[in-house]
This record gives sequence, structure tokens and C-alpha cells, in this order.
Amino acid sequence: MKKLLDTAAKVCDQAEVFSIRNDSSSLEMRNGKPSDMSASIQSGYAIRVLKNGRIGTAYTKNLLDRDELVRNALDSLKGNVEAGFSFPGSSEIPESWVPDESVSSMGFHDLHSRSRAALDYLSQKIEGQIDVSSGRGILDMAIMNTNGLNVSRKSSFMYIFASLLFPNTETAVRKLYQSRKSGDFPEKDLDILADLYTSGLPEVDIPSGRMKVVFTPSTMYTILWRLSRAVSGKSFYNKVSPLQNRREEKVLSEKFTLYGDPTDPLEVDQHFFDDEGVPAKKHTIFEKGVFKNLILNLDYADKLKEDPTGTGYRGGMWGGETVALAPAPSLSCSRIAPGKVSFEDMIRSIDRGVIVLGVLGAHSGNILNGDFSVGLNPGFYVEDGVIKGRVKDGMVSGNVYDVLNNIESVENSLHVSFTGGMFPSILLNDVSVAAK
Amino acid sequence: MIDRLRSMIKEVEADFIDIRYEVKTETRIGFAGREIRSVGSNRTDGYAIRVGKNGGFSSATVTREEDVPRALRLAVEGAETIVATDGKKSVLAEVPVVNKNVILVLDGDPREISIDDKIELLRKYNDLMLDQPQIETTNLSYAEIGREKYYVNSEGTAVSEEILTTNIAGEVIAKRDSLVQNIRVAIGGADGYNRLLSREDVFLKKAEIAAKLLDAEPVKGGTYNVILSPMLAGVFTHEAFGHFSEADIIEDNPSLREKMSLGEQLGSDVITIIADSTLPGQIGYYLYDDEGVAVKPVTLMDRGVLTGRLHSRRTASAFGEPVSGHTVAEDMRFEPIVRMGTIYIKPGECSLDELLAELGDGLYLVDGKGGQTSGENFTFGAQYGFKVKDGRIGSMIRDINIMGNLFTTLQNIEAIGNDMELSERGGCGKGQLNIKSALGSPHILIRNMVVGGA
Repeated sequence: MKKLLDTAAKVCDQAEVFSIRNDSSSLEMRNGKPSDMSASIQSGYAIRVLKNGRIGTAYTKNLLDRDELVRNALDSLKGNVEAGFSFPGSSEIPESWVPDESVSSMGFHDLHSRSRAALDYLSQKIEGQIDVSSGRGILDMAIMNTNGLNVSRKSSFMYIFASLLFPNTETAVRKLYQSRKSGDFPEKDLDILADLYTSGLPEVDIPSGRMKVVFTPSTMYTILWRLSRAVSGKSFYNKVSPLQNRREEKVLSEKFTLYGDPTDPLEVDQHFFDDEGVPAKKHTIFEKGVFKNLILNLDYADKLKEDPTGTGYRGGMWGGETVALAPAPSLSCSRIAPGKVSFEDMIRSIDRGVIVLGVLGAHSGNILNGDFSVGLNPGFYVEDGVIKGRVKDGMVSGNVYDVLNNIESVENSLHVSFTGGMFPSILLNDVSVAAK
Repeated sequence: MIDRLRSMIKEVEADFIDIRYEVKTETRIGFAGREIRSVGSNRTDGYAIRVGKNGGFSSATVTREEDVPRALRLAVEGAETIVATDGKKSVLAEVPVVNKNVILVLDGDPREISIDDKIELLRKYNDLMLDQPQIETTNLSYAEIGREKYYVNSEGTAVSEEILTTNIAGEVIAKRDSLVQNIRVAIGGADGYNRLLSREDVFLKKAEIAAKLLDAEPVKGGTYNVILSPMLAGVFTHEAFGHFSEADIIEDNPSLREKMSLGEQLGSDVITIIADSTLPGQIGYYLYDDEGVAVKPVTLMDRGVLTGRLHSRRTASAFGEPVSGHTVAEDMRFEPIVRMGTIYIKPGECSLDELLAELGDGLYLVDGKGGQTSGENFTFGAQYGFKVKDGRIGSMIRDINIMGNLFTTLQNIEAIGNDMELSERGGCGKGQLNIKSALGSPHILIRNMVVGGA
């Protein structure tokens, strides 16, 4: 890395090298049987060079020729992409979590035995098809730049993901267990999953209309994708955000607070700097409905003349190759602040409504405008506080700025979402539900 | 390279081994509004390995050559663990041993075009959209992605093939006060750079539609009879039916596998669906898949009757059906999985006017905005649409998503148009991105679709 940085430093004003190595393996169990075991050992290097107010970028997964990589970055400079920012200098960054030996040493047999334990436990509770996947990984990433930054972090993770499929469908209720250490799926969480499955076994037809709707933690991304796009520095810089010129205004219900906190000790992916080396910290976007802050990377912080927010990450909506993606504004380790009611009381308070447990099509529609229209996959129908069964062919639609101004209640605890982040369930009033 | 790959796997004790080495090249240029935001050309490489042993099957992918021996050991360990844990037994269908070097044929090689010329072409289309009334901004990118693939297996097959796709794609965004509307745009293909030239009409039309959407009304949620435009019907074909035709999707779900039995009358008798990656010039075109198997056209549904399925060697054996050459990986970071390539509904006999007359009252929904499927349930978005009254196209509508059940919807397809359009850009995300997925259709008329609205 140092040699690569030195090579780049000779031909530009500032340079940055980002490296990553990911060593992971995974196991799939479909319908009770191990069906796939795979391993992945991936690495990559990305460089960014700044010269005369312009930026050049290049990447490779396999660093065979340092000079070629630097040449590609210099060629990229010829595109005259403006960049007014500087790379951050060195800063005090807390020690990261040390990868756990129990994850480093996990083999396929260990993954299988922990998956099997969850499967066997669930098999005693329900009769339907159970799919379980699991995996483990060690991540090693580092950033160096010519302004003195030299940071790195290693992390370990393992997960078990259980899906209970409703008869004759691929529709399922699902739950994720994840940890920095090797561990077993907690039985109390499996009990909750099995109870949920049982309550959704009957299939019910419901009429179209406006009713109460609960977004659960694992479907919250439907809402957050839309809000994230609106508060991204990119949308503000291009003047297309529906929240343009509304900073410090109350734009959502006072029951809604959204922030990201990569330093949260509960976070499996706990980290203290973003993918540009900027210190990461708790970053609040909406506080009691008031729009407080944008999500920025170094580039858009400079363009909008704001301070960097430690939210520049090499990632995309669909994942992608980390080193191939430029750091973009992104809220990592997102959280919605808990409210005051239990999930059980929330359901009991519903006269007529739908619990959204899975969605199809969250990426469709006019995301920038905040519109959503998602298929229920599944959604449970509730009448007089009791779950009646799962909805046959239903959609929930609305605009996030409308529905988040009509929050009835927020659950009093946070849950890990298998789509990332930790959230409570949120009960919304008067949402459009279309059904056959 | 082929000889090097052979030497890497020759010492491994297994019943079957294959190894794929790829060099991937990318050139990307991006504009956000009038500002150029990224320019770059990159080159990288890596290996994907699969091992079959005593009926167990496992895979490993690796970036660096020095890690290949460890990857081989992990793949062997995975295969052995599947056997030891009473996992799924896999047998590969017999296929001919092939030794082929497939030459890339292009109408204009983008690698011979300067980066400055590519930037100017992109800027021209971008400016054209930005100059239209009520257009606030754009996100428009040029992407040129090449895969130089070398495949070797322990049965003696060796295939090298180069594929290269180019596209210009993105979105145009119109804004009035706090109302924002966007329309997607994409041109491109796998047959060369010249396809990207002189396409001003496409970008102009998309900008005009984005501006008009500012005056469109949100669709009211409910159940409608609908006509889908070719691109939207193509999304339905790909998302709802196509994924269900991929054998690995239904393989381990006994009830769905039974429903998808060949010979079953699953659709109305007007619909015929074909997967054909041998159609030249399409984004989904290729000759050999990532198992070294020659791709074949497959009639998946013939007048409503299920007649074929897309397979890997492993699923073909498990189903007792013919191999089809549809096992494709995104790149060297992934093991190959069953993918569609080019899928489309065969044209029928009705003109659009005849379909509108048959529809009477309903909705005419145009162009896809992403879709998703889970088993037999699907959803997909339309970019825009129109109300239809007495067979006449009326006012514009927006915020349209459709949901349905595959089997019910296939039965509810009432008429097929006599036109045809195939997509110019892929991007199917079944665990890994397949940029070489083409979809298409004529206009089609479907009864009783659930449409989500505001």
C-alpha cells in the first residue's frame, strides 16, 4: 500500500489508497438439506489522486502492476472531473474491534451444526418448509493518504438467517441472527418467528381501502431509501430534493427520529471512520420530525460548503464491487429512535390494518419524490387487534412525507433488520392498501 | 492461459473440477446535470472454482493466483461436508466436450474510440435532455464492460470467449416546486459502439415524458384491466415468469416444482414465451455459458402450456430435462447460476388499436421501472401510464406499481399485440448482477391486475 501511495504521490498533489480483503464462507440449507457451500477470498485496491482541482480514480482487485493502476488514475484526471476537497489528515481514531478467533476458525462443519440446531428447533414448532442460511467472514480494510492518514480496521462477523415458507409459496417470515463471535440463534427469537408464522398461516382476502399499516424493521428500508435519497448531498447539490430549503423545519411527525451510529457497541459492523478516512460518529438526520442534517461525502461537503459528516462509503443500492465504487453519501448503521409502546400493544391498538413483514418492489417507483408502492410479501391483516392471517395479493402505497406525518405509534425497542440497521416497528394511520 | 488453468486443477482429488479465469475491463463516464462526475478505465481479474466429489458440490472464488490452492482446498472441503452432512447430492448432466475460442465480432469497437469522443457523445445526449423545458437535472452514464473468459474443466472442455457490452443509461429528472418526477433512459447492446450513435430521438422523448409527468395524476389503487407496453410486458415476462423458469429457483420447493411441471396448461392459449440467447445483436447474446455449454433456444411456454425450462448441468440432471446452456456468472467473483439471457413473448396478431378497443375501460401502462419476484408473487413498476375510456387513450397517470400472482396473471392474459421490442440494457439482480439480460414483448392485454396507487 505504501509503495502504491508513494508511486501516486510523485505525480499528483494529493493521493489516497484504499484496500480491502474479505475472506468469507457460506452455507445454504434448503428444505432441511445442505444444498450449497461456498467460499470467497477477495481483495481490492482503489486509488484517488487530486491535481489542480481535478480528481482521478482507478481500481483493481489484483494488484499486479502498481504503475498501471497509477497510470489509469492519471488518465482519469484527463476527464476534468472537478474536486475542491482535500483528503483528511491523521486523527485520533479509537481501536477497532479485533476479529474474533472463533469466527476466524469457523469451518463448514461449524456453520452446519449451528444452522442445523436452528432448523431442528424450528421443526419442532412448525410443519412448513424451513430454509436456513449461514455464513462467516473476516474483513480487513485500510486507508492511507498523502496528508498523513493511515487507518485500518479488521472485523469479524457470522450470521444465521432463518426463513419459514408458507405452504405452496416462496413467501416467508424471516429473521436474522448476527454476531461478531460465533454463536447460536437465540431460542427466544426463533419462538417469536415461529409464532409469527403460525398466525399468518390462514390466507385472507381483504377489501381495498385506507387503513392502518405497520412497517416492521425488515421492511423499513422501503421508507429509508426514499428519505436517504432526499437528504443526500447529491440531491441537494443538484437541487432536486423535495426537502430543498427545509433544514431545521419540522417536516415529519415528532415521533420520528432517524440517525446513523457506526460507533454503537451493539453494531456488528462497528467502526470509527468512513471509507474516506473521515471520523464516523452519531449523525442525526431527523430529530423529532425536524430535518437536521444532510448525508455527505467529502466531495459534496465541499460543494455545499458544509463540514464532512463521516458518511462517505463505497457502496451502492445493490452492493457492487467495493473498490470499483467511488465513496458516495450513505448513512451507515442507521437507527430509528424507539417509541413508547410494545409491539403487542401496537397490534392490539389496530381496528383494521396490515402488518408489512416483507415487500416486493421497494426499489420501484419515484424514489426521489418519496413515493412507494410495494407488494405485501407477506402482509398480515389485523382486525380488532387480532391477526387474522396473511393478505392474498395486496399492495401498500403512499408518499413517505405524507405517511411519516401521520404516525400513530413507534415500538419501544429496536430489532436488527436483515436489510441493515436497527429499527422499531412503526404504526401509520390512513395508508392506501390495494387488494384483489 | 488455458494450459495454466489445466495445470492448476490437475492435482486435485475430486470427481469434477472446473476453473474460470476472467479479465474484466471497465470504462465508465458519469454526468450529474451538466457536471462530469467520473471518468475511468480499469482492468482486474480473478478465478472461480467448482468441485464435485462423491455427489457433493461446492465452489470458491478468489482474486489472487497465490490463493488458488487454498480456494481449491475450501471447495473440496465444502463438497465433502455436503456429503458428510447428508446434503443435496448433485450429478452433472452429460454434455459434449468442447474446445472453442469464440471471437468477438463488433459493429464499431469501443476500445478503438477515444475517451474524449465517448465523453462528447455522452455530453451531447445529456445536454439535449437538460435543454428541455422543466428538466431540473440528469444522471447519465456511459459504461463499457468487457469480460475475457477462460474456462477449463476436468472433463476436457476448454472454452475462451470475449464479450463486451456498451450502454448509455440513466435518468432525467423534472421538478416543479416540491414535486419531482423521473424517467429512465437506456440505449446499448453487446454488438458494438455504433449502436450508440445518432440516438437523439430517444433522449429527447424521455425528457418530454418526464416534464409531462409533472402534470400527471397519481393512479388510484385498485383492480384494473390493463395493456402493458412492450418493455413493461417484457419486465413481467422476465420477473414473474422467467425467474420461475430458472430451475434453481424452484428446485428445492416441492410444491412449486409440482406446479411448474412440463405439460401443465399454466397460461391462456394466446401466450408463447421463448428464451433465445442465440438471437444476434441482442444484449443477451452469447454462445457458451460459464459451464462451457453451448446455449440453445428454449420455448418455455407454447400457447399456455409449459414446455421448457432453463438449466445448469446440475439442475438438468436433477430434473431429468435437457441442458440449455443458461448458467452464467456476473464475473469472476461469482459461481455461475441459472440465468435467462434473452426472454420474450412471441408476437400475436392484434394491433395496439385493436387491443385498446378490446380493453374498453382500463389503464395503458408504459415502460418498466424495476421489478421483483418471490415465488409466484411479483411486483413491478411502470414509468408512466394513461387512463383508457371506451378504447381511447386519456390523461396521463403516475406512481404505478403492479402486483400479482404468476399463475393467475398468465391465465388472465387475453390478447397479444403484433409488435415487438427488446431491451437494450440488462441488469437483473438475482444475487449477482447480470448485465446481459434482455427482455421484450409485444403489447399485451391482461384482465384484473392489482395496481397500487397513492
